[in-house]
Amino acid sequence: MTFTPALAEPAMPLAQPSASPRAVSACALLRASQVSFAYKNGPVVLNGVDLSVSSGGVTMILGRSGSGKTTLLKLFARLLSPVQGAVDAASLPGGKQPVVAYIPQTLGLVRGRTALKNTLAGALSRTGWWRSLLGHFPSDVVRQAHAILERVGLAAKTHEPVACLSGGERQRVAIARALMMRPNLVLADEFVSQLDAVTTREMLDLMRAQTSEGTGFVVTTHDPEIAAEYADRVLIMRNGRVVFEAEAANVSARMLLDRLEEAHPLDDQRRVERSGQGVD
Amino acid sequence: MNPRLRNTVGLGLLIVSVVILARFGAWKAGTLTSAMGRLLEFSRLLLPPRWDVVPALTASMFETIQIAFAGTMLGWVFALPMALLGTRTLFGPASSGFARGVIGALRSIPSILLGVVAVVAFGLGPLAGVFGVALYTVGYLGKLYYEAFESVDTEVLEAVKSVGTTRLQLWRHAVLPEAMPAVISQLLFMFEYNIRASAILGFVGAGGIGYYMLGYVQMLQYRPLTTAILLTFLVVMLVDRLSLWLRQRLLPDWTAAR
Repeated sequence: MTFTPALAEPAMPLAQPSASPRAVSACALLRASQVSFAYKNGPVVLNGVDLSVSSGGVTMILGRSGSGKTTLLKLFARLLSPVQGAVDAASLPGGKQPVVAYIPQTLGLVRGRTALKNTLAGALSRTGWWRSLLGHFPSDVVRQAHAILERVGLAAKTHEPVACLSGGERQRVAIARALMMRPNLVLADEFVSQLDAVTTREMLDLMRAQTSEGTGFVVTTHDPEIAAEYADRVLIMRNGRVVFEAEAANVSARMLLDRLEEAHPLDDQRRVERSGQGVD
Repeated sequence: MNPRLRNTVGLGLLIVSVVILARFGAWKAGTLTSAMGRLLEFSRLLLPPRWDVVPALTASMFETIQIAFAGTMLGWVFALPMALLGTRTLFGPASSGFARGVIGALRSIPSILLGVVAVVAFGLGPLAGVFGVALYTVGYLGKLYYEAFESVDTEVLEAVKSVGTTRLQLWRHAVLPEAMPAVISQLLFMFEYNIRASAILGFVGAGGIGYYMLGYVQMLQYRPLTTAILLTFLVVMLVDRLSLWLRQRLLPDWTAAR
């Protein structure tokens, strides 16, 4: 891993690296090497990102709007291809590719369809073409979808159209669709940004419960407190680069907030002033 | 647009219209007044309607409705896959360009000409009407549908695409259900439109009430013509109410919020 020099040394004394119960032990599933990306005729969004994500635990990516978080997730989800560099997937036992689920910021649910049908869409890649054309899923797949909806707490709303569900319930449907893919890794963009505090906790607890089954999560957020509390690993992005990376056990929300402020170019001047006054 | 520019453009449009009408002779002395006089004379010939033709006309009106219904459904069945091919978010420039070319060509041919072509192919009668309406429907619904498919939220596409779907699965399980309100309401509108279109198609021998209308005009029987026009008006009004009723039942409540 390479980092920008400014962040190679910690700004604050770190806690001793401890044997955290949440330590990331699983193997790397996806690896971005020197990845750069720019949209057609647009500015550079990612600039030489090196990053691996693993199957266990929760990785949270902090960063301001426009720092490249969403683009990085889309590259991992193979919805975009890097302009430079490469995104490689590990080969799993049996020569299989890892299954990666992607939940966009607005969830990408089909509003007019029920929670069940949205969940079933997660099984499309293993459904034959004529069955999927008729919308007739095998009964074991349907049973599985019911079980997943029950696990995410939506058993009572299975047949409600997504348009009639609350924000938190929609979030659960999006998780259910992702889990239906039996993913090794779930990428979720700004997953809890639009939720109230209680629902946010419910969602993150649900996510943590899934990690115990071996599913990894990569979640972008702009909330340092959430990152410090729920992540195993925290990254901060700035101007298309990963500028900070740490085990969550070693960082506090306060420290992440400071880092995030530092990571904003417009705040450079303020930071200089602050350190000049000896506040920092 | 600033108010001054808007006024200038508005005045310009008005002047152009007046000049065009002048070129066509609308402002010549007496043109408009004599036209009014002739219309009054003609309307005396139209009235009162003749009610004894109602049974015969009702049967042919029923045929017109059948032509419109079968033609709309047949056209709809072909418009959906053509629109799918024409959706640029799902297919590359080659296939979408081809599909859009076919759809555009069908739409650019006036429906009455499509009726003539269908009469050549199937002979005089309602079957020709059905195919004339169907061809026109593919051109019209095809365009409305690929536009509806392309306006589906990209995040929905990306979320379902990341599951690892084929293009057909993506269309069936994300694009089509998201576009369904538009698909249904445009189908209903098309049926309404096709009632009028198939009445006109009768003029070229494609069956239905238009065939009677043409006959009355040619034989200078204006009073039964009035009856035919009133009947068509009545049916169009009824279909309009029916499709409003269907729309309210087929489309879920949440579509109103969009």
